Amino acid sequence: MAKRGLRWYGPLAPWILLAPTLLGLIVFRIVPIGGSLYLSFTDWNLLRNPEFVGLENYKEAFADPAFLQVVENTLFFSLIYVVGVMVLGLALAVLVNRKMRGSNFFRACYYLPVVTSAVAVGIVWSWMLSPRYGAINLLLEALGIKPPYWLGDPAWALPTVAFIQVWKMAGYYMMIFLAGLQDIPLSVKEAAIVDGANPRQTFFRVTLPMLSPTTFFVFTVALIDSFKNFELIYAMTRGGPQNATNTLVYDVYLNAFVHYRMGYSSAVAYILMAIVGFATLLNFYVKKHWVRTQY
Amino acid sequence: MKRALRILCYGLLILSAFAMAFPFIWMLLNSFNSESNIFKSPPSLLPDLLGTSRMWENYATVLREFHFARYSLNSLVISGLSALGQVVTCSLAGFVFALMKFRGKNLIFSAILLTMMVPVQVTIIPEFFVMMKLGWLDSYLPLIVPSVLVGSFGTFMFKEFYENIPPSLADAGIIDGAGPFTMYAKIYLPQSASQAATLFIIAFMNSWNDLLRPMLYISGDKLQTVTMALTQFQSQYSAKWNLLLAGSVLGVLPLLLMYVFLQRYIIESTVSSGIKG
Repeated sequence: MAKRGLRWYGPLAPWILLAPTLLGLIVFRIVPIGGSLYLSFTDWNLLRNPEFVGLENYKEAFADPAFLQVVENTLFFSLIYVVGVMVLGLALAVLVNRKMRGSNFFRACYYLPVVTSAVAVGIVWSWMLSPRYGAINLLLEALGIKPPYWLGDPAWALPTVAFIQVWKMAGYYMMIFLAGLQDIPLSVKEAAIVDGANPRQTFFRVTLPMLSPTTFFVFTVALIDSFKNFELIYAMTRGGPQNATNTLVYDVYLNAFVHYRMGYSSAVAYILMAIVGFATLLNFYVKKHWVRTQY
Repeated sequence: MKRALRILCYGLLILSAFAMAFPFIWMLLNSFNSESNIFKSPPSLLPDLLGTSRMWENYATVLREFHFARYSLNSLVISGLSALGQVVTCSLAGFVFALMKFRGKNLIFSAILLTMMVPVQVTIIPEFFVMMKLGWLDSYLPLIVPSVLVGSFGTFMFKEFYENIPPSLADAGIIDGAGPFTMYAKIYLPQSASQAATLFIIAFMNSWNDLLRPMLYISGDKLQTVTMALTQFQSQYSAKWNLLLAGSVLGVLPLLLMYVFLQRYIIESTVSSGIKG
């Protein structure tokens, strides 16, 4: 190789082979990232030239109760999502980790919603939750429970959509937890059993602490993932009713491509970026200091 | 006690499987309902068209009158080309980062990794402006080109893989007088068939399920993707659940078939990608 003095490529070769990636990096990443930062300080409707307004967009956003509700919705969605996929993912992983007949089939089953599109998932769930003919309501009514108006009720819409995202993605986190569970040496668990620990003690005192690197990793991945809810919200509620399911990703779309307020929308996008950036730093930190295994 | 635990476990496994699969079963069943039967109260568990000569009526309507065949073809072309292109550019970039030395290499590689976390909402407005200025609106290009040219995860995966190939392979190539392109195409790329397949699947699924870009870039009927068509169909024919559900079945069918045949592969690949697209 090069170290031994044999040159098998000229000085231009790396640049030629890297040309498509470099072009993409500049045109679709670096320039737009810088561009939207600039736009966030302007007033622009796409047609005339952007007009510089300083911090006006950010000031407007934080003074607007509707926007503060969007931030609150985003964080509430994240909370439900992160807690939901962690609890459900771990529970499913523990279940399929037991050596039982058919556990591969069950794994495949739990992973099924992960590969389907959020739009199709949104349509099916909207049908199942529809007020008069939905399967869920008919079931609840048969049990004597009066169902709420799910997607039509501002108090219920957001938790409902967040729960459906949890349902869709739980299988994904199950697989990460499963890899973590299988990394715990069997001898450790056996030692606990020999020492007289019952299954519950073994789980809470041995398995769970040894799983903590995986748990932290899952936490940060789920946190980053929790902001990506545009498709499901578009397919189910379009931000409604009364702004109740409007999140930052949806608000960017709404302001930019429905109201054509490109500058304000860029400011919203940068507020989202700040939150995601924080979650990503956390992820890097956790990967570096906690996680021994590579996923 | 042990027996009871076993039964409890199976009970929970089956219950969870039911919760995960039920919406899909319900979607499939109801797609065989006629318009009147779907709103019957109390509901009939079995769809009325199933097994009759009109069984495929909803599907025929959706394919004929609502052009779902055309949309599926669009999605197939867009996702296939996006995925193929991404495999080529990412393997090239991974090869360069793993085997070549040049000024600015670390800086460029860090930029690729760092910009991976940036949400699409941050870049989409300038990107839309670029596409508008290029005159690419209402064509396949804005749906294919960005995902072909920007593949952080794929670049990272190929780099890791090529770095771990013993240098003797490169040495043999050098002795045979291979130039950089031969080295990539004839010696390294064939080694990474399974990485290429993994990346192809992830990129294909991401592109198939994408909604934001088709919504912004495609306004005519002819070039719509299945995913986007479903949302439009939903707002126009919100009461025709039987047709909407038949359309949804058609929309997820290609991915479900991929999943059934490449299951192990898909699970491993999406998990190793760390973050879904």
